[in-house]
Amino acid sequence: MRKKQKIVAALMLLVALHLAILLAGFIAPYNPATQNRDFPFVPPTRFHFADARGHFHLRPFIYQWTVRPEGFNEYEEARGREYPVQFFVRGPEYTIAGLVRSDVHLFGVEGPARIFLAGSDGFGRDQFSRIMYGGQISLAAGLLATGISLFLGLLVGCISGFYGSWIDESAMRLVELFLVLPWLYLLLAVRSFLPLHISPTQTFFLLVAVIGTIGWARPARLVRGIVLSAKGRKYVTASRGFGATDSYILRRHVLPHTYGVLLTQAALLVPQYIVAEVTLSFLGLGVSEPVSSWGNLLANLQQYNVLASYWWMFAPALALVIISLGYLKVANAIHERLQSDSI
Amino acid sequence: MTCAHSSCASALLRIHGLTVRYAASQEQSSPALVGVEFDIRRGETVGILGESGSGKSTLALSILGLLPVSTNITGSMLFENKDLLQFDESAWGTVRGTRIAMIFQDPGLSLSPVMRVGDQIAEVLRAHRPGPRKVRKQQVEAILRDVGLSQGDRIYGAYPHQLSGGELHRVAIAQALSCRPDVVIADEPTQSLDATRQAEILDVLREVNRKFGCAIIFITHNPALLAGFADRVIVMYAGRIVEEGPVPQVFRQPLHPYTKGLLQLVPASLQDPDRTRGQHLPALPGSLSHSDRSTRGCIFESRCFARTELCQSESPREVVPEEGRRVSCFNYEN
Repeated sequence: MRKKQKIVAALMLLVALHLAILLAGFIAPYNPATQNRDFPFVPPTRFHFADARGHFHLRPFIYQWTVRPEGFNEYEEARGREYPVQFFVRGPEYTIAGLVRSDVHLFGVEGPARIFLAGSDGFGRDQFSRIMYGGQISLAAGLLATGISLFLGLLVGCISGFYGSWIDESAMRLVELFLVLPWLYLLLAVRSFLPLHISPTQTFFLLVAVIGTIGWARPARLVRGIVLSAKGRKYVTASRGFGATDSYILRRHVLPHTYGVLLTQAALLVPQYIVAEVTLSFLGLGVSEPVSSWGNLLANLQQYNVLASYWWMFAPALALVIISLGYLKVANAIHERLQSDSI
Repeated sequence: MTCAHSSCASALLRIHGLTVRYAASQEQSSPALVGVEFDIRRGETVGILGESGSGKSTLALSILGLLPVSTNITGSMLFENKDLLQFDESAWGTVRGTRIAMIFQDPGLSLSPVMRVGDQIAEVLRAHRPGPRKVRKQQVEAILRDVGLSQGDRIYGAYPHQLSGGELHRVAIAQALSCRPDVVIADEPTQSLDATRQAEILDVLREVNRKFGCAIIFITHNPALLAGFADRVIVMYAGRIVEEGPVPQVFRQPLHPYTKGLLQLVPASLQDPDRTRGQHLPALPGSLSHSDRSTRGCIFESRCFARTELCQSESPREVVPEEGRRVSCFNYEN
């Protein structure tokens, strides 16, 4: 029972994170590209309940960060005025999924103060907003590439397992070839062949296509195994004996067996592909500025002074870890469920 | 070889010199079927009798073209004068399920566990007789009634695991009958059922045969099931037909030593348990081994009680001792 609760918790966490990232415009208080050149590398805003005079406030409030006079990029709180945190405030306009336009944000503070939940980057852009919007790119890349991989894997696996003979042989040798390729270097090689300076949208789809077409081998092999066992079942022979065609047998009697494995593979591939996108963007081969993705957010850490001084710049990594662990937990749960079913 | 029947010309299904060799056993040269030939006429009931490994199921699968692609098949199978062995997949589609259908062994495994049984019957109809869904459902319920399942609604919506063994067998029969085929092959349709259910299933098949006039090929290892059910019996041993004839004659006066042995196995004296108590049940000595098939001489020689020296060196030819019967045994030559 406790195990089941954990799985449900992991699933709910995943759903909540995806929803939040889908609704990035609403959750994030600012436009991810808006710069505040006066506030580079501001640490995360602190929330207070008690003000300087010792009064307790039910509604949390923040102080505006100001540059410490003698320091470089060092900040202190200006205790002069409290800015209470407000919910459903009007702010910069945004669209959700290209459909809904709005300017209501989940939370915010009155100007001129700014709320930096996860600090700001070198241009003073709100990192929390950038993580939310960057998540859209990273998650979409992971999900789309997974879709491509599973589609190719299902196609090759079904054909290979169902028709056998030389088709099977050659497809499986191709699978082995793809399995032994070191995917990171392959990605780098493929990416380096392609033009470097193209629009972020083009880069995104290129990235997705490249990642997706490399990972089809494992699902193909797994699907083939399942198709092989499914087509040997007695009811498949019986169905053929009643006049069923190949395509009917594939559709009605073979494909349903592959769903479980496809689901597990999906849950494993999504985090793997998110990491792949992050890796490429981190190395500067993926989505480039000003569009944010978790990879190019982390790329800030390539500068030593950022790595050493501004710990909040690791925040995108935290998002990546949470989402990956969530997916792996769910993959594990599906896998165990399938195992117990087959016994 | 000659045809044992005078009515050859009118045969619906004519199997001639059918030899089946599974690819794996090619080197051992022990084919699953050797020179099998027989006729099925319209509307008749033929029993195929033999122990496990005698090639009964291979025969059934070969009639529907369901043997693996790698299998080596020679001979001919004329169905309405068209050779089924020359058929390609699309031609098979016009025969399987609609002209020749099979009641598969073990309905628990030959029905998909994830589809409602009613839909599985309806799918056969849909494949061969396109029509509106509603009509199809009524047809399926009518067929279910024909095989003695009166609660059509409950059966239609049930999954295989929700039905009893007897109900599953009836569903399998209904599935085979859905398109009113000319030939129904029943491969051990009463296996794993108790004696009362066996009798019920036989009744259903007899009724179906009478009502729809479809020929039934009934494959079994139990001679008792054929008595009073089949018109003719074909006895198989090690992939060959050793004896054929009308059921009453063969059962009253079996000719081949193997048939004699098989018929002795039926415990005849069940009504008189005192007489048989403490006695061993009769059994055929030896077993059907693979070496029997490759050696020269009669295939049954090693287990035969009437063997002679001739049996070791030569294999017997088929003889026709009387009209409508044939047997492969030296005891009846000349």
